[in-house]
Amino acid sequence: MKWIGAMLFLLATTQIGFDIAKRLSDRPQQIRQLKNALQILEAEIVYGQTPIHEVFYQLSKQIPAPLSRFFSELHDRLSVSQTTLYDIWNPTLKEFWKQSAMKKAERDIMDQFGKTLGQHDFTQQQKHIQLALTHLERELANAEEEKYRYGRMAKSLGVLTGLFVILLLI
Amino acid sequence: MMNEVYLLFQIAGIGLIVAIIHTLLKQAGKEDLAHWATLVGFIIVLLVVIDNLAELFQQIRSVFLFQIILGGF
Repeated sequence: MKWIGAMLFLLATTQIGFDIAKRLSDRPQQIRQLKNALQILEAEIVYGQTPIHEVFYQLSKQIPAPLSRFFSELHDRLSVSQTTLYDIWNPTLKEFWKQSAMKKAERDIMDQFGKTLGQHDFTQQQKHIQLALTHLERELANAEEEKYRYGRMAKSLGVLTGLFVILLLI
Repeated sequence: MMNEVYLLFQIAGIGLIVAIIHTLLKQAGKEDLAHWATLVGFIIVLLVVIDNLAELFQQIRSVFLFQIILGGF
């Protein structure tokens, strides 16, 4: 009975370690998708001159799973409400960020970007998108480094903490 | 007897795991955290050892007290 409990505990801590490692490796991938989304957004705004809620709809179709939810949510809220874009952008961003693996730095970049969205003409808007892309590029390099450094550490640390506590308690 | 041998293995295991955690954290560049881990491991082992040491002293004291009482008669 004691050993079954110990095994379950070890399994749980191992799982936690792998989960943290997965979050670390998900982050650069999601930032890359976000950059992709911004590039599509730029093309749609500058060259296609599509209305913004249609752009969001297309983005939610083109971008893979976690980020597509953000854009479809934006599209849904924008279709029904009458407030400014940023008033929708900000709460949606906050809600979505809890589900994603990305951190506060990326949220701040997107928040800043949301403030400029729809406030300027095409060339200015393009510059703001480029600025956001540059910031995201820097965060991407950061995230890659973190994934490389802490990914393996998190996995083995999970197993070791489990063993440690088991040894203490038995 | 089983209990004492087990105690030895427990402390050895704790030492081993703490050493591995220390190297891992050091490799990842978190040296301050590595030192904290070692310190915590050391304190835990110290608590276990002190507990058993107290038991040993109690045993010694009871033995000698018993002799003094006997010598009194």
